[in-house]
Amino acid sequence: MLMMPRMRALVAAATLATLAGGSALAQDAVTIKMWTLDNTGYPEFIAQAAEEFKKTHPNVTIEHQTFPGDPYKTGLQVALVGSDGPDVFFNWSGDDAKRLAKDGLALDLTSYADAPGAFGTTVGEGYLDAFRYDGKLYGVPADAVSKYVFYNTAYFAEHKLEVPKTLAELGTLCKAIRTIDPNTVPMPLGNKTRWKAIHWMTMLNERELGVDGTAADYDLSRPADELYTDAGYAKAFQDLLDLQDAGCFEEAPNATDYTVADTMFSSQASPMEFCGSWCISGFETAGFTDVGFFRLPVVDGGRGDAGANFLVPEGFQVSAKTAHPQEAVDWLSFLVSDDQAAKFVEYTKFMPSNPAKIDTVEGVSPLFKELAADVGTFTQGVNVLDVLLDAAVSEAYLNATVEVLNRTMTPDQAVEAIRKVALEAQAKAAS
Amino acid sequence: MSQSPSRMLDRWMSAGMLAPALLLVGVLVLIPSVLAVVGSFYEFGITSQNWVFVGLSNYARAMADPVFWTALKNNIFLIIGSIITQVGLGTLFAALLDRGVRRGNTFYRTIIFMPVIISSIAVAFVWILIFDPNVGPLNAVIKGIGLTPPRLGWLGDPNISLYMLLVIAAWQNVGFQMVLVLAGLQAIPKELYEAAALDGAKGWRAFVHITLPGIRNVLMVGTLICIIGGLKVFDLVFVTTGGGPANATQVIGSYTYLQAFTLGNMGYADALSVILLVVALGFGWLQLTLSRRG
Amino acid sequence: MNGRTRLVAIGMHLILTVWTIFVLAPIGLMLISAFKSQAEIFTKPLSLPGSLNLSAFQRAWNIGIGSFMLNSLLVTVLSVAVIITTSGLAAYVLARSEAKVMKWLYILIIASFAIPVQSVLVPLYQMVSGGHMLNSQLGIVLPYAAFGIPFTTVLFYAFFLEFPRELEEAARLDGCSRLQIFFRIVVPLSGPVVASAAIFQAVFNWNEFLLALMMLTEKSVRTLPVGIYGLTTQYSSDWPAIMAALTIATLPLLILFILAQRHFVRSLAGLGK
Repeated sequence: MLMMPRMRALVAAATLATLAGGSALAQDAVTIKMWTLDNTGYPEFIAQAAEEFKKTHPNVTIEHQTFPGDPYKTGLQVALVGSDGPDVFFNWSGDDAKRLAKDGLALDLTSYADAPGAFGTTVGEGYLDAFRYDGKLYGVPADAVSKYVFYNTAYFAEHKLEVPKTLAELGTLCKAIRTIDPNTVPMPLGNKTRWKAIHWMTMLNERELGVDGTAADYDLSRPADELYTDAGYAKAFQDLLDLQDAGCFEEAPNATDYTVADTMFSSQASPMEFCGSWCISGFETAGFTDVGFFRLPVVDGGRGDAGANFLVPEGFQVSAKTAHPQEAVDWLSFLVSDDQAAKFVEYTKFMPSNPAKIDTVEGVSPLFKELAADVGTFTQGVNVLDVLLDAAVSEAYLNATVEVLNRTMTPDQAVEAIRKVALEAQAKAAS
Repeated sequence: MSQSPSRMLDRWMSAGMLAPALLLVGVLVLIPSVLAVVGSFYEFGITSQNWVFVGLSNYARAMADPVFWTALKNNIFLIIGSIITQVGLGTLFAALLDRGVRRGNTFYRTIIFMPVIISSIAVAFVWILIFDPNVGPLNAVIKGIGLTPPRLGWLGDPNISLYMLLVIAAWQNVGFQMVLVLAGLQAIPKELYEAAALDGAKGWRAFVHITLPGIRNVLMVGTLICIIGGLKVFDLVFVTTGGGPANATQVIGSYTYLQAFTLGNMGYADALSVILLVVALGFGWLQLTLSRRG
Repeated sequence: MNGRTRLVAIGMHLILTVWTIFVLAPIGLMLISAFKSQAEIFTKPLSLPGSLNLSAFQRAWNIGIGSFMLNSLLVTVLSVAVIITTSGLAAYVLARSEAKVMKWLYILIIASFAIPVQSVLVPLYQMVSGGHMLNSQLGIVLPYAAFGIPFTTVLFYAFFLEFPRELEEAARLDGCSRLQIFFRIVVPLSGPVVASAAIFQAVFNWNEFLLALMMLTEKSVRTLPVGIYGLTTQYSSDWPAIMAALTIATLPLLILFILAQRHFVRSLAGLGK
């Protein structure tokens, strides 16, 4: 079965060669259309990888197209249903990837994974699990993003500030910074596009309830009368409000663009920011090197685990409609091979799913290496709410968080609103 | 005898001349409208292939959906608001340029019309920057003169952001309305005013009895453009507020998009579309009867 | 001139000047921000750029603003050409025919004018996708045309109703067919209404965002609005580059408009008739 496409290609090539009077043509030309996001360094990384891939697969051409974040999800879904979709595409692990698998649009890669040199042999189990649904593999994990509180080490040293050990200490720290200068925003939030605060809630939920405490609510498997009834959810919202009351965030965080928040930190106007591992390249571009980081602190009396931290595996899926599944998987396996994973770090500054050669990468800052080392010590990865949850619940969570920050909803009302949508989603899934 | 074949030819020719327009409108406007109506009776997702017949429940859901009513209310607010601001200011500026101001006439007209030709996406990006609560120039100015800017931001407080959307829309479209009215004003024969002046009708009375009837059609076209624009509004909301905070600035266009492409409720999105369609047809019918009467 | 009329004149100038400044301020901000660094935009919103920095323009150009503009131009020109031709032909027949079915067709056209694109977004998307026309300029030109035809037809219809029939009668006696009359007699005298309809549709299609966002996902075929929207990426936005891109996209049009504004505005006047 697996050999079929190749066999056919060989037969076709042989026939063609005979017809062409024995010309040197060996294989059919194959074009793999690849869609990814527009992240920094991505086009360059793919371009060199495609060049390199040609050495072993001379007949395969990679056609790479990039998209901005928001229209990507939409464009991808409609394209996969339509006729002009990509053969392989970037996706986050979570609800979207799962739905594509469920709707038969993403190819089951289980049978390809363990061939010699294939991605199943180079990428760790933990990563593979992120794309496993009902025991089958539906994606090739390429990297993961994590999230930390970054801080300005020079500022901290100058004002003799210390890294907080609990969330309450973080609040105290914000107050201390406001005392130094009331106009300094300690850690800008930038929640205009709603995902910054949902990242906070992702971690605050973990700090209050722990990964195991949330799992059954997130995947809607908890009995209806207990769904989202844990008091920890409201408490997590309250934690966010406490930080806001301590003066941590800027004015009108829901109207502030995330780029504004990022720039406030990297231009050293603000001494802290809760930012993704992807933010490092932004600091470097701005020439800002006095950067340290710590994990979002634990909560006193919370059920969370200091060893658990934000971790969203991302990777590539293969369209069920592709005409060249073998070549597509070969290409993806190539991208996560030892050498290419190292190149990937070099170009994109993202945490690779295959860290075998990460130490050999040149031109990577000490900060990045420290961060990569820390990611390796997580006891548990915490996947982000807005990709993990059912789409309707995720939308409700995003909106509730906005309203809590705006003080148009109390934490209890917010949880109630989420619970209502979760119950609907649960009933719908059961029907 | 010779008449008949040429009549036939004429008829075929007429059909041929009508065909391209009717074909395009039929295939790409009318058939999709019918399909939207059909889809509104089903439940299906973008990526799911199985359609489940649900009768009228998508419509029942809309009636019970507070966000739908917010969106509809916002559309109507934007329609009325843009008629007042755009047609109103456009008429004012046109009147000033036509009869009041002699010097700098072309200058004013050129500048005021300029935003019309700038892409509304471009416009939205610039305004996002202007309205930013922390680093935007507007807040810097407001704080500079000792006032307090809105707590949730210009685009973050639903009680303010809808008005801000009106400001942006007016910035972009007043010039268009102005030129429209200007053309109408210039088409009124000067002799009418002279004759009226002889009868003692000047100033305000001349305006009511000559100018207003003269530009009646133009104002109607302008109003219609505001209505259609207000029903169709999408870009402005999508890029500036994204329908937020918490759906407070959602309009039917952006809410349909959210339901269809973010939440994957295609059938419900179709039902929302059909409702918008009915509202739009209602306005179209109103326009038709009003213009017939005139 | 007495004191009172002078006061009124000053008042009128004041009103127009205030609006002029209001119109120019955002355009000025766009221009200035294009020369600033990201940090300057965000930390000194009201100041001028520290140095005359052209790198943002370089970055914006590298993103492909040039090709976005070409795509927009192509799509706009094609769709306007289709709209004007098909609407003109149809409106002429509708305006000259007495048959009852024509009245109904006209009402159908008016009704379709009221149908917003969003109402048919989902099925239209499925049709274009099913017709293998996603990511093709033709795939977007046809819907643009279809949605521009009703309004333009109504516009032309009104114009043709008032068109002097004597000329046409004379041509008919000379043995011209309806099509010949249309092209030889009617079209040459329809300059103003064609120009105004063309400008209206051109502005509309040049700026169209929603359909383009859905149907032109490949970078090589994106039009300007979608291209500009794409400048904000998943995790970062390069504001100076966005402002530079907006400037590159806007300035040629503005200059063209200022040079040709006399004709432009006069043509648009046809809409009000």
